[in-house]
Amino acid sequence: MMEMDNGDSGGNQQNKPAETKSPYSMPGILHFIQHEWSRFEMERAQWDVERAELQARIAFLQGERKGQENLKRDLIRRIKMLEFALKQERAKVHKLKFGTDISMEQKHNETNEESKTNEMQTTNAHMSWRHGRQLLRQYLQEVGYSETILDVRSQRVRALLGNNYEVPKPTENDNQVVNGDLSDEEVQQKSAGFVLASHGSGNSTENIFKDFNFLNAADNDDDEDVSMQEEDTTDGGDQQRKSRAKDDFDEVDGFGDAEMALAEFDFLNPPDSEPDDMKLDWSVDQNKLNAMKEQFRQEKRQTKKKELKRPIKKDLQNMLDTLRGSELNRATEDVDIHIPDEENLPYTVGGTHIGDESIENALGLGALAGLTVANEADPLSYDISATKESYRKTWNPKYTLRSHFDGIRAIRFLPNESSVITASEDHTMKLWNLNKPLPSKKTQALDVEPIYSFRGHSGAVLSLEIDTEGSSCFSGGLDSTVRVWSIPSVEIDAYDTYDPSVSQKILVGHTDAVWSLSYSSTRQQLLSASSDCSVRLWNPTSADPLVQTYTTDGTPTSLCFVHCDSNHVVVSHTDGKVNLYDLETGQISLVLTEGDGSSINCVVSHPTMPVTMTAHDDKHIKFYDNSSGKLIHSMVAHLDSVTSLSVDPNGLYLLSGSHDSSIRLWNLDSKTCIQELTSHRKKFDESIYSVAFHPSATYIASAGADALAKVFV
Amino acid sequence: MVSSGSAMDPEQVVRRNPPGTKAEDFYKWSPQSFDEMDSTLAVQQYIQQTIRQDFTDTETILTAPPGQDEGVWKYEQLRQFCLELNGLAIKLQAECTPMTCSQMTATEQWIFLCAAHKTPKECPAIDYTRHTLDGAACLLNSNKYFPSRVSIKDSSVAKLGSVCRRVYRIFSHAYYHHRHIFD
Repeated sequence: MMEMDNGDSGGNQQNKPAETKSPYSMPGILHFIQHEWSRFEMERAQWDVERAELQARIAFLQGERKGQENLKRDLIRRIKMLEFALKQERAKVHKLKFGTDISMEQKHNETNEESKTNEMQTTNAHMSWRHGRQLLRQYLQEVGYSETILDVRSQRVRALLGNNYEVPKPTENDNQVVNGDLSDEEVQQKSAGFVLASHGSGNSTENIFKDFNFLNAADNDDDEDVSMQEEDTTDGGDQQRKSRAKDDFDEVDGFGDAEMALAEFDFLNPPDSEPDDMKLDWSVDQNKLNAMKEQFRQEKRQTKKKELKRPIKKDLQNMLDTLRGSELNRATEDVDIHIPDEENLPYTVGGTHIGDESIENALGLGALAGLTVANEADPLSYDISATKESYRKTWNPKYTLRSHFDGIRAIRFLPNESSVITASEDHTMKLWNLNKPLPSKKTQALDVEPIYSFRGHSGAVLSLEIDTEGSSCFSGGLDSTVRVWSIPSVEIDAYDTYDPSVSQKILVGHTDAVWSLSYSSTRQQLLSASSDCSVRLWNPTSADPLVQTYTTDGTPTSLCFVHCDSNHVVVSHTDGKVNLYDLETGQISLVLTEGDGSSINCVVSHPTMPVTMTAHDDKHIKFYDNSSGKLIHSMVAHLDSVTSLSVDPNGLYLLSGSHDSSIRLWNLDSKTCIQELTSHRKKFDESIYSVAFHPSATYIASAGADALAKVFV
Repeated sequence: MVSSGSAMDPEQVVRRNPPGTKAEDFYKWSPQSFDEMDSTLAVQQYIQQTIRQDFTDTETILTAPPGQDEGVWKYEQLRQFCLELNGLAIKLQAECTPMTCSQMTATEQWIFLCAAHKTPKECPAIDYTRHTLDGAACLLNSNKYFPSRVSIKDSSVAKLGSVCRRVYRIFSHAYYHHRHIFD
C-alpha cells in the first residue's frame, strides 16, 4: 500500500512536487497508524496479562507473608508462655528436689541456673520465652507430646550446640543405633546441602538448619522405622511431604527471611544481654520451635484436609520416642527397658508419665513431668496428717458448722458416730454429720451442713443431752419444757419428708427455763435443772416420766450425775454453792462449797475419780473432792468468766470455754494448760457457751454466741 | 441479767444470760445504742434489741440506723425473720401433714415446687416449709454466698430476694389453709 502510495505519489510527482517531497501519504499514514494501534493493542493485552500475573503473584506473596507473620506471632507467644512455664517448672524442680541430689539433675539444674543467671538481665524476654514455651507445650500436649520431651529436646539441643556444632553426626548415629536403619546418606546429603546453603548468614541460621537437619534426620528415621504405624504405606508419602514441606519452608522463606524472622526473635533478647550462649539458646529453641510448629501446621493442614492425621501424630510421637530412646541410650544404659513401654503407649498420658519417670531418672529433670500436678493436694494431706495425731498433740480446727441463726447454747457429740447435735437460741436443734463436709477450696476448715433440724421448742433451746446409745436426745429450753427426741440416722437426706415421730415426748413440769440436763446411763434417767429452783428427775421412756422433784436452795445453774456414784448428783448454783444431792433422799448429802458470790456456770464430774470441777464467773476453775468436800485445787483459768467444762472420757484432760473467746485444754494431772484455741466472736458480751469431747473419737467441739460451732481434730 | 461484778465498776452492765437466768430475766439489760455496739454481730444485736423493746413497732424495727450498709441490714433482717418464722413452722408442724396438705399451694392456681432438691420437687406443704427454712438457713449461713456478716457481696443480694419469695409462700399457705394459726 505504501508502494502504491509511493507509486502514486511518484506518479504525481511531476504534477505535485510538493506532495512528492513528503514520503507520507494518507493511506500510508493510515496504514501506519493502524499498524501501530494494533501493535499497541497487542502490547496492552500483553500488559494486562502480565499485570494479572503479577497481581496473582502479589496476592500469593502477600498471603505467604501473612502466613509467615502469623507464624512469627504465634511462635513469639508460644515462646513466651513456654518460657514462663519453664521458669515455674524450674522453680518447682528446685523446690521439690532441693536436698535430694541427683548428679545429673544438679548438672542440668546448674546449666539451667547458668542460663538463668545469664537471662536474669532480661527478665521480660525470659517471661515471654516462657509464655511461648508454655503455649507450645500446650499445643504439643494436644498433639501428644509431653513437656519433659520438649525439655529433653531443648536440653539436648542446647547441649549439642554447646558441643560446638557437632550436631548432625552424633545424633544421627544414635538414631541409627536405636532404629537400626539407614537413610543416612540421604540425611547427610540434606544436611550437607543445608550446611552448604547456609553460608554467610551467621551462627543463627547455621543453627537453624542444623536443627532442621537434626529433626529432619530424626523424622526421616522415624518415618521408616516405626513398626506400630498402621498405615505403613503412607510412610514414604509422609516423608516426602515432610521433606517437601521443609523444602518449601526453606524456599519460601529463603535464608534471608528465616534469618530476619530469627533476628526478630533475637530482638526479644535485647542485645545487651549475654550474647552468644543466650542467643544460641534462643535461636536453638526457636529453631526447634519453628520446626515443631511447622510440623504442627502440617498436621493442622492435613486435619483440615482430613487426611492422614494420625500418621503425622504418630510420626511426631515416634520421633519423640526415638529421641527419648536415643537420649536415654546416651544417658544411661539400663533404661532401655522403658523404651518399648513408651513406644507402645504413644497417646496415653499415662504412657508419657511412665516415660517421664524414666526420663526423670535418667536425666533428673525432676518434676517438669507433670505440669498439672495439683500441689494443693499436698498441703491438705500434710494438714490432715498433722491433725490425725492423738490428744497429746495440738488440736486444729477442722469443721465449721454454720446454719444457726442465733447463738448455740449447747453442743454434744453422738457417741458412736462422727456427728454432733447443736442446740441454739433460734429455737432449733440441728444434727450434723461430720463425714459429709461440703467441698471447699479452703483446706483449713471444712463447712458442714446440717442433716436434720429439730423444731419444737418455742423458745431458745438452752441445754442438750444425748443418751449413751445415741438413739435419743433431750433438750431443755426457755419455754420450760424438756423434750425427748429420737435421733434420725445420720445417713438421711437433709431434705427428706417430715417424720413426726422424731419428736417423742414433751416433759412438762418445770415452770421456768431449763438450763441443764444430765443423763445417767446406769439409771436410765434424766435430771433437769431449771431456774425455778427445782431439779427434776425423769424417766423418759415411761408413761409418767416425772419421777421426783427436788427443790434446791438457790437457783441451780448446772448439774451433773456423779459418774462414780449414780445415786448422787452435783448441782451448782448462782450464788456459788455446790451441793451434792442424794437422789434417794432428796437431801443434800454434802456441801462442797458455800460459794463466794460468783456464779458457777458449769459443773462436771470426773468419770473415774470422785472429783468435781466447777467453772466460775470469776475466771476460776475449782476442783473438789466428793468424799471429803474439800477444795483440791483452784486455778485462774481464763481472762473472763469460764462458761463450760468438759472432761475427756479417759479422765485425763479438761476442756474449758470462756467468754474471752478462748478454749483451753488442761492436763488434769498437772493442772496445766496444754493448748489454747481462740474461736468464736462475741455477741453482747458472750462468746463461748459450750465445749464438748467426743465420747470415743478424737474430736472436740465448741459452740458460740456467733451461731457457729467448730469441731477440732 | 444485769450483774455488776464485785471488783468492777458498778455502772458497767454485763449483757449476759448465764445459766440460771429466769425466763423473764432473759435479755433484761438496758438497751445499747447502735453506735456503742462494737461486735461483729452488732446489727443482729441491734435488731433483736429493737424487737424486744416493742415487737409491734415494725417501722422502727425495719429502719436501718444511719450509715448502715443496706445489704447487711437486709441480710440480718432476713436472718431474724427466719428465726422467728420457726415459731410458725412449729405450729404448722402440728397441723399440716402430708394428708391434709399434700401440695404446697396458696390459692388454687399455683403449686409451688420445693427448690431445695436437685430438681424442683412437689413436696407436701409441711415438707416445703421445713425444706425452705432449712434451705434458707443453709444459704444465709453458707460461706460461699455470705462469707462475712459485715459485708455482703453484690452478687449475693439477689439471693436474698429469692429466699424472701419462698418464705413468703409459707405465709400464704398458712393464711389460706391454716387461718387460725396465721392469726
